[in-house]
Amino acid sequence: MIISTSIILFYVVSILVIGGGLGVVLARNIVYSAFSLLVAMIGTAGVFLFGFSEFLALVQLLIYGGAVVIVIVFALMLTKIEDFRNLNDNDQWPLAVMISVALLAVLLIALFGSPIESTLGSGVGLRHLGKTLFTDWAIPFEIASFVLLVALIGTIILVREDEEENP
Amino acid sequence: MQLSTDITTFIWLIPLCCFVAFGLSIVGRYFTEKIHFICVVAVFSACFLSFLVLYQFILSDMSVVTISIDWIAIGSFTITWGILVDSLSVIMIGFVTFVSLLVQIYSLGYMLNDPRISWFFSVISLFTAAMLVLVLSDNLIFMYFAWEVVGLGSYLLIGFYYDSEAASRAAKKAFITTRIGDVGLLIGIMLIFKSTGTFNISSIIDLAQNGAVSESIMTCSSLLIFFGAMGKSAQFPLHVWLPDAMEGPTPASALIHAATMVAAGVYLVARMHPFFDLAPLALPVVFAVGLTTFLVGGSIALVMTDIKRALAYSTMSHLGLMMLSLGAGPWVVAILHLVVHGLSKSLLFLCAGNVMHSTGNRTDCWSLGGLRKNMKITASAFTIGALSLAGIIPLAGFFTKEEILISLTEIQGLWPIILMIVLAGVFVSALYITRLTLITFYGEPRSDNAARSQESPWIMTIPLIILSALIVIFGLILIPLPFVDGYRGLGHFIDPKYKVHFVPWLSFISILVAFLGLLLGWLFYGNNALSHTKMVGRVAPLYDLIIRKYKIDELYQWVIDHAILAFGRLIALFDRVILNDALVNGSGKSVVLSSLRMKWLQTGRFYNYGMAMVIGVVLSAAVWWLA
Amino acid sequence: MIDLVHFQILSISLFCIGVYGFMARKSAIMVLLSIELMLNAVNINLIGFAAFSDFAESTRALGQVLVIFVITIAAGELALAIAIILRLYRNTKSINIDELDSLKG
Repeated sequence: MIISTSIILFYVVSILVIGGGLGVVLARNIVYSAFSLLVAMIGTAGVFLFGFSEFLALVQLLIYGGAVVIVIVFALMLTKIEDFRNLNDNDQWPLAVMISVALLAVLLIALFGSPIESTLGSGVGLRHLGKTLFTDWAIPFEIASFVLLVALIGTIILVREDEEENP
Repeated sequence: MQLSTDITTFIWLIPLCCFVAFGLSIVGRYFTEKIHFICVVAVFSACFLSFLVLYQFILSDMSVVTISIDWIAIGSFTITWGILVDSLSVIMIGFVTFVSLLVQIYSLGYMLNDPRISWFFSVISLFTAAMLVLVLSDNLIFMYFAWEVVGLGSYLLIGFYYDSEAASRAAKKAFITTRIGDVGLLIGIMLIFKSTGTFNISSIIDLAQNGAVSESIMTCSSLLIFFGAMGKSAQFPLHVWLPDAMEGPTPASALIHAATMVAAGVYLVARMHPFFDLAPLALPVVFAVGLTTFLVGGSIALVMTDIKRALAYSTMSHLGLMMLSLGAGPWVVAILHLVVHGLSKSLLFLCAGNVMHSTGNRTDCWSLGGLRKNMKITASAFTIGALSLAGIIPLAGFFTKEEILISLTEIQGLWPIILMIVLAGVFVSALYITRLTLITFYGEPRSDNAARSQESPWIMTIPLIILSALIVIFGLILIPLPFVDGYRGLGHFIDPKYKVHFVPWLSFISILVAFLGLLLGWLFYGNNALSHTKMVGRVAPLYDLIIRKYKIDELYQWVIDHAILAFGRLIALFDRVILNDALVNGSGKSVVLSSLRMKWLQTGRFYNYGMAMVIGVVLSAAVWWLA
Repeated sequence: MIDLVHFQILSISLFCIGVYGFMARKSAIMVLLSIELMLNAVNINLIGFAAFSDFAESTRALGQVLVIFVITIAAGELALAIAIILRLYRNTKSINIDELDSLKG
């Protein structure tokens, strides 16, 4: 294998991703986990760049980094997380470790057992992305927007205060 | 006189009349009380027809006639109902209908005041019909069917006085004991069917004589069939029901347990005799069982004080004699003895009925005595019957006993010893019947009832007279008559292969033995020259054993208690523990228990469910991708 | 050279980490974060296929289209999940999953 700059950079980015992931699942403090998630998201955006999809990298940064993590931090704030600083792993974490390792093994064996040809990587132009999205996949696109609408309405209803329900 | 009609057209009428009488009297007794007369009319017509058939049979040169109707067809196999008319069945139907007729005439008087007289006559008609079907049937299945109905009739009649505990127990005992035999009979029939493919008796005998049946099957099935005959004919050890069967009305005992039902076993063995002949073990077993029964029955009859029971044991003993003659040689002599014994024994039973009728149902012979003074006809009839049974010339019993003894001499090998044993039995039989006669009828009355006895009405004594007369002259039919053309004795009529013998030295010895028995009886009981109580005292332990009927009843009760009821308890335990507790309750309980255990899976905690999901995914993935 | 295999291995590892977090964390929000991790792992995989498979470009665009959808749905689902957690918190005053066991059988 040729050691080239892209490989090294890829490893760095993947260390970010994996490290962020590990941080999410192993951190003692819940706020630390939230911010590790942010790190992992940024890493993922980097990985997207290595997959020649710049648009999606930006979308990832915007949505995950800009919206999702913010929402989570808001939620942490609203649930008064400072009272719950000692919430860590629950009782079944050894079993969880085993199962995840098993899953890892299964997936890896499946991966290396099935030969997939891969070619030289090339990106997908934004034009093709747009065309496919709005012609072949227009209906799922509409439905996705509908899902967002439902989620929005549902969230509002769910977090409404109770005194509006009891006259 | 030649009749224009063929026998075959009306032979089936003979059992049918009796059966129709049964049906009519069952229904009719709700309408009129005199319905039982129909039964008498029916059996009279049956008797008349039987003699007509006999006559026709003689005239048409004794050909064998069979008719058969297909009854059930299952695939390629049909069960037929058929009638076999040959010399044996003709004699049997004549005998059965005749005795039944006499008993029914007698019962008109005996059961006159009984409110359930119609039921009695119905059952007697049913019984007669079944017995006729049994002797006329040409295949084993129909014979078995009739066999069972005969057993049913016996059960109903023994338990006639059903409010008596002893009677119902006796009826049950009879039915169960004969049923045990019947199981063997059925298995034997099925075994024969399996190896010959037919139930028809003639075909079976033909096939067996042509070697189509293997020897082991022949032996097995013969022994099993004989087991059935043992049950019905009260052979040792299935004899225990016969004495207890005396709980029934005396005419019933006269018909069933002297003449007809117990004869069914003998008839069956006689019918299947060619088959039994071919099986190596069968006839010796028959002989041994018959001999044992003969001796056991005789010895117990010697000590019995109840008239009816003494007569029952005497019947058992003579049935043993018939069986042993079947085992020894020609079956004809057994049939002859069956007819003669049937006549004599029913005569004796009817006389006993007279005694009971006039002394207020007393049967204990020690409380009777001197009845000769008041009941002359009964006493003479009883004496004639007794002498015939003892084998005194020139009564009929002598001739048949002769024939049996002669056939015994033709056994190779041990015949002197066997002859001596049988002669000992003959001696005992003469002794006990003399004893009974003397104690009951002769001497001085021993109780008020005996003193005040009187002769029964004519309707009850006429059958006695007829029977006594018949016994006297029947002997003449048995031997070849010089003045009738071509007649060589009743035995020859039944089976042309049989010749009547006459062995002078044997006749001399048997007459001597019989007279010795008579003499000894008279010395003990008539003259009181020898004291029987002292004799009893000398053989006290043996006497004890015999009077307890060799403790067979106790043995059976012990077996039932310990083996059968224990087995029953085991089965009940199995049923309770395994079926009820384990399977039925247990399946319910196991569901509850498993659900209690599985409850722990529902922790209500989200991460446990998540774990379950992931485990499922991992397993599915592993199976899907890796296997 | 960067190859499809790299993307796939990365995706698998991230996914398993997310699975572990999903099973082993005590707070509901931490479980949510793990779910986000799993979704991101899927996205990485899809991008990998979009870039490195041997189809025409308009066919390969499917991978990226799917990523868009996944991100969209993930965001919507996150919002709803937060709403539910806030509701639970209001009822039970705790986000400790161990105390949310009223469905215990």
